Amino acid sequence: MRKVAIVGGGATQCGKRDAGWRDLVQEAGKAIFESVDNLSPKDVDSLIVGAGQPERFIFQGHVAPMVAEYLGITTRKVLARTELMCASGQAAIRYAWACVTTGMADVAVAFGVEKMYMPDMAEAQTNMTCVLDREWDGVNGLSAPPFFAMTAQRHMLEFGTTKEQMALVSVKNHHYSTMNPVAHFQKEVTVDAVFKSPMVAPPLNLFDCSSMTDGAAGLILIPAEDAKKYTDTPMYIIGTGQASVGNVINNLASLTEWVPLKMAVQETLRTANIKRDEIDIAELHDCFTISEIMEYEAFGWCEKGKGGKFIEDGRPYIGGKIAVNPRGGLLGCGHPLGATAILQALDIFQQFRGEVPKGRYVKDAEIAIAHNLSGAANVHSIIAYSRSLK
Amino acid sequence: MSVKFEKIKRQEMIKLPYMLDFYPLQDEKFTRISKFFQNLKEGKLTTTKCKSCGKLFWPPRIVCPECFFENLEWIDLGVEGELYAFTEMRLGAPLGFVEDAPFCIGLVKIDGLLISSRIDDARYEDLKIGDKVRLKIVELEDGRVFYRFFKTRE
Repeated sequence: MRKVAIVGGGATQCGKRDAGWRDLVQEAGKAIFESVDNLSPKDVDSLIVGAGQPERFIFQGHVAPMVAEYLGITTRKVLARTELMCASGQAAIRYAWACVTTGMADVAVAFGVEKMYMPDMAEAQTNMTCVLDREWDGVNGLSAPPFFAMTAQRHMLEFGTTKEQMALVSVKNHHYSTMNPVAHFQKEVTVDAVFKSPMVAPPLNLFDCSSMTDGAAGLILIPAEDAKKYTDTPMYIIGTGQASVGNVINNLASLTEWVPLKMAVQETLRTANIKRDEIDIAELHDCFTISEIMEYEAFGWCEKGKGGKFIEDGRPYIGGKIAVNPRGGLLGCGHPLGATAILQALDIFQQFRGEVPKGRYVKDAEIAIAHNLSGAANVHSIIAYSRSLK
Repeated sequence: MSVKFEKIKRQEMIKLPYMLDFYPLQDEKFTRISKFFQNLKEGKLTTTKCKSCGKLFWPPRIVCPECFFENLEWIDLGVEGELYAFTEMRLGAPLGFVEDAPFCIGLVKIDGLLISSRIDDARYEDLKIGDKVRLKIVELEDGRVFYRFFKTRE
């Protein structure tokens, strides 16, 4: 098993873009290869493309070779697309890592892309109902917002979590995204603004929800021993964990306790050989405000049920117990399904290199984790990154 | 040389294809659990139970994943359940449901299972966790059926 480094990467501006899927791919490709001086698409032998549902959003399958073509890559070792809906991009990084660490690939690009704005947004919402089991859950009009609304309702009932506490997550992440030039949202929000935003599915207002977003991004992965040929400041993948329990809502472990996340956390800490308190930055999957609150709990930064108090006390801010989502999170940056995990990794890469604005810079960060959930929060995926190799 | 222009038609209205509506295909040509839908037509919400290990499944299955036994029996779940969680779809309803919005969705506890369902005849404000809800069957024009629950008034 070889150690694996990330030596470069790039992203598009995220948001409601006046651009097509193929445009986003090309923009990201240019950004990726402009980030490294002495590495070109001709050096890449493998490509893994994370894409949630291009079949629905742009009526296109077999997208991995299409990305290869637009990026000017001729793959000689591995080419595939990964779909794990909201964690599709993280699956791409995990498999690119697996290919490089085993020697199946030598220079791999982990790419992610989603074009989610459609002429008729009800069609886009329709696409999102196949994220859950369409015949048994989606059929009831259940897409992510109502599912997480019911999760929030139970969490509020069982643990006394409040709407104010949930809104504070949105306030924090929008604050950080104002300092992220590629973020979808560039304005601060207040608790009052969250409460006054339209009700999507009670208790979730619009600003409790991450958005449909267009975006693409990619990373270059190579064996760690070669990293310094390309940059003095690479980032290393030091561990990863993933777990799933059930799929249909009836078969979840619990609505208010994300058992598979706790499993994935343990596996990540074990494979990375780190302790939880060594983590300096946590990019967590805040698809909804309640998600981030439940993630503080599952990672063990606070007691079960005390996630609301944790944000109320300002503990997940930079300088607190743990810097959570200094990128701006999905709430601030938007959530282009396939691209999200790549954008998280890229921001951590820039954090380690000191390339982010001062207001959201986590000084002397050595270890970071990025987390994505998918489906009915029945799948949780985590990657641990470090600035140096121990 | 002038370039020729010609207007062509894009068919604006098409019959909704089955894979773009939400309701499952139900007859025996398309599923081996067509019995579930036949039972629904008779007013019964049912699911399968493994005759070997006794495990009750939702949704119904054709093979027990615990022991790979194929001899499953149909169990009637009754008509009354209890609301475990609920919300109301106000923004972002999918195609086909846009005209229904706002509508309530809930998780119904019934025979130890947690079944997601539309909750009819109520607005969000009318509901509370623990409310009793009762089965109803909705019939599509093409003959397919599905289950919902509604809040009982008594």
